[in-house]
Amino acid sequence: MDVLLHQILSGLATGGIYASVALALVMIYQATHLVNFAQGELAMFATYIAWSLVQAGVPYWAAFFLTVAIAFALGVVIERVLVQPVENAPILSVVIVFIALLVILNSLAGWIFTYTIKPFPSPFPSAPLFGNTYVTSHELGSIGITLAVLALVFVFFRFTPLGLAMRAAAQNPVSSRLVGIRVGWMLALGWGLAAAIGAVAGIMVAPTVFLEPNMMSGILLYAFAAALLGGIDSPGGAVLGGFIVGVLENVVGSIIGTELKLTVALVLIVGVLVIRPSGLFGKVLVTRV
Amino acid sequence: MARLLDVRALHAQYGPTKVLHGMDFGVEEGGITTILGANGAGKTTTLRAVCGMVKTQGEIAFAGTRIDGRATESIVRLGVAHVPDGRGTFVSLSVEENLRLGAHTRSDKAQIALDFERMYGYFPRLKERCRQQAGTLSGGEQQMLAVSRALMLRPRLLLLDEPSFGLAPRIVQELFEIFRVINQTDRVSMLLVEQNAAMALRLADHAYLLETGRVLMSGSAEELGRDESIRRSYLGY
Amino acid sequence: MDHPRSAFGAPPQGGDPGGPAKPDPRRPLGRALSKGQLIGLAVLLAAACVLPFVVSNYRVFQLTLALVYAIALLGLNMLTGYNGQISLGHGAFYAIGAYVAAILMDKFGVPYWLTIPAAGAVCLVAGFLFGLPALRLEGLYLALATFALGVAMPQILKYKGFEHWTGGVMGIVIVKPEPPQWSGLTQDRWLYFVVLVCLVALFVIAWNLLRGRIGRAMVAIRDQPIAAQAMGVNTAMVKSLTFGVSAMYTGIAGALGAIVIQFVAPDSFTVFLSISLIVGIVVGGLASIPGAIYGALFIQFIPNVADHISKAAPWAIYGIFLLMFMYVMPTGVAGFVRIVGGRLRQARTR
Repeated sequence: MDVLLHQILSGLATGGIYASVALALVMIYQATHLVNFAQGELAMFATYIAWSLVQAGVPYWAAFFLTVAIAFALGVVIERVLVQPVENAPILSVVIVFIALLVILNSLAGWIFTYTIKPFPSPFPSAPLFGNTYVTSHELGSIGITLAVLALVFVFFRFTPLGLAMRAAAQNPVSSRLVGIRVGWMLALGWGLAAAIGAVAGIMVAPTVFLEPNMMSGILLYAFAAALLGGIDSPGGAVLGGFIVGVLENVVGSIIGTELKLTVALVLIVGVLVIRPSGLFGKVLVTRV
Repeated sequence: MARLLDVRALHAQYGPTKVLHGMDFGVEEGGITTILGANGAGKTTTLRAVCGMVKTQGEIAFAGTRIDGRATESIVRLGVAHVPDGRGTFVSLSVEENLRLGAHTRSDKAQIALDFERMYGYFPRLKERCRQQAGTLSGGEQQMLAVSRALMLRPRLLLLDEPSFGLAPRIVQELFEIFRVINQTDRVSMLLVEQNAAMALRLADHAYLLETGRVLMSGSAEELGRDESIRRSYLGY
Repeated sequence: MDHPRSAFGAPPQGGDPGGPAKPDPRRPLGRALSKGQLIGLAVLLAAACVLPFVVSNYRVFQLTLALVYAIALLGLNMLTGYNGQISLGHGAFYAIGAYVAAILMDKFGVPYWLTIPAAGAVCLVAGFLFGLPALRLEGLYLALATFALGVAMPQILKYKGFEHWTGGVMGIVIVKPEPPQWSGLTQDRWLYFVVLVCLVALFVIAWNLLRGRIGRAMVAIRDQPIAAQAMGVNTAMVKSLTFGVSAMYTGIAGALGAIVIQFVAPDSFTVFLSISLIVGIVVGGLASIPGAIYGALFIQFIPNVADHISKAAPWAIYGIFLLMFMYVMPTGVAGFVRIVGGRLRQARTR
């Protein structure tokens, strides 16, 4: 029972990471009907930026917010420069652009920062809260931060004019133009936000998995699974999916061992796509032939 | 009185298919102009052309400035509101959010709040359903919502694409009455594309008759309404 | 699921060069080779036979690998280029082929040349089986699922439960095959010719397949899937078969690669292998048979050149080339060659 509780809480911590990355994926999907294969590498690169800032002596939280801001800017630039030109191109072209981005970010990180694994600091104390044996302070803190970020994003989209405009642009770009919304810039903002959320996820997970250029590939896979499970066009679903997948991963991992984690993700992905492609909360859309 | 909208030699195409072949028309400041014609004549394309939603050649001038070739959103920001065919409501958003989006380009909060009240005044049903998802409204209510959203812009020119489409006659009457009020009290000029020629001619001052992308005839609404042969051949009554 | 985008977009309208290569309507697949082209191919083949005798052993080894990649790329191109199904995980089939060959040779003492058809058969079935659920997945979702396959593969190969067969993390070392006495060739040259023979055979088969009814059905499914179905093409069967054959080709390449390199290990088959294959077909030319050769030369030799700068450099170059080719030369090197060839022909006939 003890062990189960520990696994669930641990699972919620990783689940928060998956939920954040899944949310970033869904945000871009909703606006563009595209899955950003480079989401993980963007987060990884942002985490390296945070690392560099900390190495240079910048205090942790200053580095945190600065990195989030830089990641936001990077996301906006990438959308305007790389993605916008292939907006209406066939799917293969867009997928290839994303793969190119993945590869470039990965190799840039390897080039600039080398492939040696680096430790990444955690802002939370190493002693567990109240000496409990169920969850480390970092896991708890991580859950807190990711929930805070998700709440902020929710409030932004639901209650601010800009959030409303972005939702409108994602749902109906033609009508959005008719009310004067600059749809192109809304997309860029969406990418910026997605990159920023990814950066937070990367910074939160790095202390646990250690910083190296390939650190996000497994996480990205799980985020895909989470987003698909929740419904690729449902932000709430993606978040819920993330937490479910996180807990599932831990619990299943304790039963069949941790070596086949990625296979589990693969099975989940293929399973959801084949059995119920719209996920738990997504819309089942019928295309007219 | 200078024309608010002045269009000369307008050609428009969808990809390789040409739809409009050199049209000349305009809307007077404070006036209501209607464009009539059969299905496929190019009426919807004309409105889309004014808004920059299709590829065009020719001159389109709004309040003296050329707007041809400009992006839709920048034309809208000049004060042109378009109620498209199909209404273009944001179906997953609430009625209130739809209206709020109409005022997206405005920053005068107090006036916006007043305008909300005004729209609810014209269309009380919208107030009842203000938190409801727009996609669940009836056809008539969606049309009211679409018109209100356009009016939230406080436009100088309102483009209306077949507002009577799919609506019961009584509702069409109400709607057109509101158009008249808006035109007279708020001085909103209108370009109205309609298949319901009778209603359109009663509302408008000026009318154009469109056939396969060309202006066949133009004149005051009264003249066109009175002409028996035109009425029978083109307007169906 | 909402599919507002088709995998490839509409077929070309009067000389539209945008997007990845679609078969040039001026050069339908079905046409047989002209005499000039046959002569050209013969010359090329002769050159290929002479080449291993005029370069160093190491170069022969590299060229052999390039030929192996060409087979793999042809496999992927059949699926993605001609049939429009995006696979970001074809490295997995390469890995399966490689491991089948390695396990058969290492554990069962099967002679190397028998492992090649065995690997092909296993991958044909594996590809067909993976293709079945994949049938229902369009463009992006298939890319996603195959991407997951590519990422998960190394972990599957490292799994302790299979360790007895796969050698776990350490992999399997294979003994390099000895050339037969009568050939008088060195090991490297012998392997070169083995691969060359396989390549020529597989390319001829592919060429015949692609210019026939099945090839046309594949392309029809890529460009206008609904119309193809309405016209009676058994879309499901063609798509699954294409997946199977494509996997078979790549699996055979994997087996050959394992024999040439004499070593298989899980970390040789990461998602980056799959991405290399994608780079190969994009740079070489989608929906093009010669493109497989251009692409293979690219992915074989670029790392050799760029590795000196940094371990990461080849990938940065891959990424930049991918972008360049997508924006500037979507028909790849093969398309470029075709255009240049066309202009030269025009200039001569004037």
